[in-house]
Amino acid sequence: MSKPGVASLHEALQKSFQGLENNQKIWTSLLAECVPLLESLGNLAEQSKALSNVQLSITPLRVFPDLEDRLRFKLQEAMDTVLVKLNEKMSSFQSVRDAITNHVSGVVQLYEQLTDSLDLNCVTERSATAPSIADMMEWLQDAGRHYQRQFMKRKLLLQTLRPDDLTLMESAPGRWKSLASQSAEDNITDAFFKVSFFMES
Amino acid sequence: MFLGLTHDTMATSSSRKCSAITGSARKIKDNMADWHNLMLKWEKLNDTGFNIITNISNMRLMSCFSSQSSQSSSSSSSLASADTAADLQDQCSKLREIVDKMVTVAIVKKMERLMTSQRGLQDLEDFQFGPEGRKVPLFHTWSTQQFVASSDILCEAFQQEVKLKQVVLQEVAHSTNSDLCTVYLSCWLHQPFIPAHVRQTLEALLLETGHRPL
Repeated sequence: MSKPGVASLHEALQKSFQGLENNQKIWTSLLAECVPLLESLGNLAEQSKALSNVQLSITPLRVFPDLEDRLRFKLQEAMDTVLVKLNEKMSSFQSVRDAITNHVSGVVQLYEQLTDSLDLNCVTERSATAPSIADMMEWLQDAGRHYQRQFMKRKLLLQTLRPDDLTLMESAPGRWKSLASQSAEDNITDAFFKVSFFMES
Repeated sequence: MFLGLTHDTMATSSSRKCSAITGSARKIKDNMADWHNLMLKWEKLNDTGFNIITNISNMRLMSCFSSQSSQSSSSSSSLASADTAADLQDQCSKLREIVDKMVTVAIVKKMERLMTSQRGLQDLEDFQFGPEGRKVPLFHTWSTQQFVASSDILCEAFQQEVKLKQVVLQEVAHSTNSDLCTVYLSCWLHQPFIPAHVRQTLEALLLETGHRPL
């Protein structure tokens, strides 16, 4: 039984959970900022689609021969602007994910360094106020994996968008929303509740 | 919004900093300030108009949809449709007011007047200095001819855009095709005849005349 090892692991875990909590807040607010961007992207795709469906030469707009090209150009310009903004958001997501991964791997590394001095008992031992080290490390790793997966899925969604595939673009807001994994988020929040006494100690 | 430059700041800065300049330079500088303010006004009108036109096309599509779904229905629906018709009329009059402001009262007419004044300055210069023009530029580097050409770009863009707005105004409440309605809406919103270089041209004019610091 090695007290100093446990103490330093506890300290690292506290720091990591604190970091995770802060980053979770940033992640949530980033997600909220993306919603209007995705909606306007879907909206622009809808407008482009409508423009393709209408034969302007048989409408009252036929008096403007270059209208279709001009309008299409404007729509694409607007889409570009939105995509640039989304790309910036993705970089922010990436740095949040990196921060979370660093917190998690920091704890794992420390654990590996101390692994000789830690026996099974002190890793699995829990008290009324503190969950076991093993449990806490599992929660942290689960959270890290969750954000990693979320980031990859959302990045992939944006990367598969093509200006000529308007249906895909139109469905982007819905698909973006459906990527949210409430159960994983709930698990992370649960973990915060479980470590709340431990964090205060 | 152009770099937060409002009507007031434009007016004060031009009257304060450039009290020394007179004649053609004074006139051109004031004209450019007017261009800037007219374009700001246009943007505001366009925003207001967009809300109205959205309402119109929503009403239009809703009424088409409900008439399709209850073709053989009772008098209650015809009462409701009379209500919507009044609303629709109301919104259309509002939109007409906006387009009127864009055309005659406020914007495009004034832009054309600015254009005339700009051409007049060119004629005056031709008269004063002959065909080769003045030796020293009025501001930094531009010749009077360049001011005319740039104002022309702006003026043409808005003249064309306002024509499009007039067609949209006439047709939007008569369209039953949802795609066409969407096209009308995006025409209003994205202003296809005012490309990005119109903004840049205005900025260049403001830079040259000293409204923007170099």
